[in-house]
Amino acid sequence: MTKNKRCLSFYARIYRKILIQDLKSKMSYRADFIISTFGMVLTNIAGFMTFYILFRNFPSINGWDYYHMLFLYGFSLTALTPVQCLFDNNWNLRSMVYSGDFIKYCFRPINVFFYFISEVFDAKGLGQLAFGIGTLVYSWNRIGLPVTPLIILKLVACILTGSLFMIAIMNFAAATCFWIQGSGYVMVIMFRFKDYAKYPASIFSGIFKAVFTFVIPIAFVAYYPSLVILQPENIPLLSLLSPLLGILFFYLSYRFWMLGVRKYDFTGS
Amino acid sequence: MAEHAIEMKDICKDFKVLNRHEGLKGSIRDLFSRDYKTVSAVKDISLTVERGEIIGYLGPNGAGKSTTIKMMTGVLEPTSGSITVNGRIPYKDRKANSENIGVVFGQRSQLWWSLPLIESFKLLRDIYMVPQKDYEDMIELYRSLVDIEPILHKPVRQMSLGQRTLSDILAAFLHDPAIVFLDEPTIGLDVSMKSKIRSLISGLNSEKNTTVILTTHDMGDVDALCKRIVIIDKGMKIYDNDIEHLKSYFGSYRTLKMRIGTDEWEEIVIDEKTTDIMDIIMKKQKEKKIRDIKIEEISTEEVIKKIYEGDAK
Ligand SMILES: Nc1ncnc2c1ncn2[C@@H]1O[C@H](COP(=O)(O)OP(=O)(O)O)[C@@H](O)[C@H]1O
Ligand SMILES: [Mg+2]
Repeated sequence: MTKNKRCLSFYARIYRKILIQDLKSKMSYRADFIISTFGMVLTNIAGFMTFYILFRNFPSINGWDYYHMLFLYGFSLTALTPVQCLFDNNWNLRSMVYSGDFIKYCFRPINVFFYFISEVFDAKGLGQLAFGIGTLVYSWNRIGLPVTPLIILKLVACILTGSLFMIAIMNFAAATCFWIQGSGYVMVIMFRFKDYAKYPASIFSGIFKAVFTFVIPIAFVAYYPSLVILQPENIPLLSLLSPLLGILFFYLSYRFWMLGVRKYDFTGS
Repeated sequence: MAEHAIEMKDICKDFKVLNRHEGLKGSIRDLFSRDYKTVSAVKDISLTVERGEIIGYLGPNGAGKSTTIKMMTGVLEPTSGSITVNGRIPYKDRKANSENIGVVFGQRSQLWWSLPLIESFKLLRDIYMVPQKDYEDMIELYRSLVDIEPILHKPVRQMSLGQRTLSDILAAFLHDPAIVFLDEPTIGLDVSMKSKIRSLISGLNSEKNTTVILTTHDMGDVDALCKRIVIIDKGMKIYDNDIEHLKSYFGSYRTLKMRIGTDEWEEIVIDEKTTDIMDIIMKKQKEKKIRDIKIEEISTEEVIKKIYEGDAK
């Protein structure tokens, strides 16, 4: 049999089919679906209220006015959607590894990471996506940014960059379970950090800024990539490089995850 | 295609088990710890399996059956020894190896939990790139062997354990693999589901000439399906031959069943070469009134028990 017959388009097709089937089955539990979507909308409204109360009366922080802050807020909500919708199964990795159920992902002739991640699609995050896009459009208008195909393209690329960083952080966090027993707290802590994504990194003190840039790159989820849009005349180097760094960081997290699978001695009978 | 389905030579598997410590500090310490002990799960097992065989792979709990299967499927790398499955070294190319095998681990479903079975089948068809015609033929074959209508459109999460196991076995055969591994597939199932599953396995084996490696604690499975059995204990192979050969080894053994109370059968296994059955009955008769007597050939169950106890070489 030929080696490369399962190419990217093969995986895309399988992924689409799993997604459609999964959505269909979720819709059939309609009450469940509506309640969880409704819950997500409420959570987002509450989050927005907090944000509004905190920042409505601050005219400007470090040169960031209310609408810039709002832009960053919408940017981070949008960029955080893929990790919640598409990579949610990482939360189950630890229990599956310990119960031995994880072994089932190793019996198919497809990529283990793909197979594992594709299994769960969490539709709740879609409400957040709508909210995020709404916030982006509103603040975009208020700031008076231009609307051209090129800038929209840049925006999409920057949001995807932010998503890659958050996905990679969670991949790293989840994969620690292959080495450390009781590593659940790693994921919980990392996921908490996402709350800092919506603030401009420039308001943090030097040490935090360095940590959020070079150690746990939360500042790359929204702050650095969004500067490409917000400061087109003066883009910092890290912002310019962020798409490349995002791809690299994601790739490293994938390798780390797969390394865990390789060295893991399957327990359970 | 390789000559043998599976060839294992002097396979050993050791697990290094870390003596773990408590808490966050402990787990960080464990990362750098060298405080290991070694567990030998499989010791020097050699085994050749021919195409189309159904092998009963037996042994008490913890004997190393699942570990052997994990090495054959390529998820575990042997510590030493050589292994080929369909002519390939499984752990060297796990993906290529899984192309041509099917696996069922009892009580762990591998299907998409929320999808109806038929949708899982279609996904597997795409994943294994099964031609549509072959897929349809296989579903037809399934229909002729077992009543799949009641489960075909049911989501796996709503199935009973028996239906789920049945589904998993069907899914394992779907891409017509050369070898199927069934690790305790009948565990926890009722009698009628067990017999359904046995006839399904035997039907698929004869239709498709699929090699089957079956581990089980149920000698009914062995009697219904396996000509050859391999028994391991504490990681070592202690028996590998036809089941008939084994029974003839115990040819002079009989099971004496006596009913004492109204519904209470007492069973004794007797070697006629050394003990006279009549003596035993007389002795018993003096103690209690015997209402009924049956003398039977020794059952597979008892033969296996004798082997575990070390009565055969
Ligand atoms: N991942 C592992 N780490 C450490 N020890 C293991 C692991 N897997 C199995 N073992 C040990 O190896 C032995 C054989 O286990 P197993 O192959 O599951 O037995 P069986 O399937 O015959 O019941 C047992 O003593 C078990 O505790
Ligand atoms: Mg086992």
